Amino acid sequence: MLKIDNLHCQVETQDGEEKPILKGLSLDVPAGEVHAIMGPNGSGKSTLSYVLTGRDGYEVTQGSMVFEGEDLSELEPEERAAAGLYLSFQYPVEIPGVPTITFLKEALNAQRTARGEDEVTAPEFMKLIREKAKQLGVSMDMLKRPVNVGFSGGEKKRMEILQALVLEPKFMILDETDSGLDIDALKTVSEGVNALRAPERGMLVITHYQRLLDHITPDVVHIMANGKIVKSGGPELARELEAEGYDKYLGEAA
Amino acid sequence: MTATLTHTPAEQALIDALDGATGWQAQLREATLTQGLPTRRHELWKWSDLRRAANDVTAPGRMIVTGLDTPISDGARIELDVTASAGASAADAELVIPAGASVTLIERYSAEAAALGNWHLKITLQDGARLDRIILAADKPDSAFIASSEIALAPNARLHQRALDFGGRLSRIETHVTHPGEGAEVDLGGVYLLEGGHHADSTSVVHHTGPGGVTKQLVKGAAAAKGHGVFQGKFIVDRAAQQTDARMTHRAMMLDDRAEIDAKPELEIYADDVQCAHGNALGALDETALFYMRQRGIPAVRARALLIESFLAEPLDAIADETLREDFKVQLRTRLEALS
Repeated sequence: MLKIDNLHCQVETQDGEEKPILKGLSLDVPAGEVHAIMGPNGSGKSTLSYVLTGRDGYEVTQGSMVFEGEDLSELEPEERAAAGLYLSFQYPVEIPGVPTITFLKEALNAQRTARGEDEVTAPEFMKLIREKAKQLGVSMDMLKRPVNVGFSGGEKKRMEILQALVLEPKFMILDETDSGLDIDALKTVSEGVNALRAPERGMLVITHYQRLLDHITPDVVHIMANGKIVKSGGPELARELEAEGYDKYLGEAA
Repeated sequence: MTATLTHTPAEQALIDALDGATGWQAQLREATLTQGLPTRRHELWKWSDLRRAANDVTAPGRMIVTGLDTPISDGARIELDVTASAGASAADAELVIPAGASVTLIERYSAEAAALGNWHLKITLQDGARLDRIILAADKPDSAFIASSEIALAPNARLHQRALDFGGRLSRIETHVTHPGEGAEVDLGGVYLLEGGHHADSTSVVHHTGPGGVTKQLVKGAAAAKGHGVFQGKFIVDRAAQQTDARMTHRAMMLDDRAEIDAKPELEIYADDVQCAHGNALGALDETALFYMRQRGIPAVRARALLIESFLAEPLDAIADETLREDFKVQLRTRLEALS
């Protein structure tokens, strides 16, 4: 479903210089599978999530990323979203003045329009969002507030998953979704993610720690260091990492 | 002996148009005769060069004002349409809001191409009167249009003003308020949104003359490449105006590096027991928010429009009349979509 081959990516730093971050990363996530990417800080995990979704300043210099046969690098961020790619942000962005409900309805209908589907009507949308909000224990009051404004870290992550439940993407990238979550919130969010697991949907779970993977069991675990995958294995690899740390992989990558 | 000024065609046209005028229009004629149209050399016009903006005006024109016959009583809704034809023109009017009455005044300005329009309103709010003044300065792209007002409040009166300006070759909304304190309240708000080549100037002076006055001002703006926004706000607090509480904020967004926004917030305070503050902030569109919205599938153009709208809408949220408020927001949205 998502095929990344020998991907090199450079990022423009604040002083205008280009810094290579991804250095030949290859990855293949078939539909129906959940892959985890674990790696130390600075290994390029977040860069991977941004280059896949098309953020400005993240430039592919070599290699390819193909989603359901389409070359992602040819598509604008909104076209990638309409194709079904969804990023749950490590730091969800606050948008003052735009109520969450309005935002989500705009997003859903923009995606549907881009795919040549009919827009959902206001009553249909309200029914949909009520049902999904209930599933995640989000109040309608919260949905009337501007996107992420004044929400706690845990609430923001919960809203990211709620948005995914409403938009029903084909492929989800969860970037450090466990950061800032207490154990209860972690459970709720994981349940939301698990509810989205489906034979036709792929997921890439990016995380520094193993604890999220206790709740969302991956099919494959990849270890990333210095801009590429250095080892892949089953769920046991995550536990091994938790016990032994990243040191030996940092050595291998260097 | 004063030296004879050589008048530009626009100045001569305005002088001719006001031949035989009385009152404010006679003052305008006299000022034009002796000083010409204001240019950048005038401190109060340093970012709004009227003489230059009117350089295609060659003949007198006409200013038509409709709606002045509406009786002013409690609950009245006065809708003034002020239209300047091509050429130089001026009009003025005086309104008295009776004690205790609550009145809504809506002004819509429009001007033909190559117009130099001057509109002046003198408003008196009697004791306990309340005025919601709403200005839509939308339809005057290729003209110079100056709307000025002198508003005097009595104790316990309340002025609530909102202006939406899409600019023009030169558009200036100038508001002079005399604020007596003693239970009177002033709330001035404005929004400007400028495409390339458009200029909008929000200039105001609130003069606090008595104790305990409350004044709020929030002006927000956005300018695209080669758009030019000007904010000049001044609060004067006399020695007699102790315990004045006056707050001025101007916030603007430069939508492009080639936009220009000039701001001069000023406080002139002679009393020692007051709470006065001004804030001025210029910024750009939040690129992180833009990416977040696009990642959710909202096209870039629409995402930009939504972000700018949510930034600008705040002063308009305080328009009490729901239909007007929605109408203003639709105007803003339509203009934003055209801008993108």
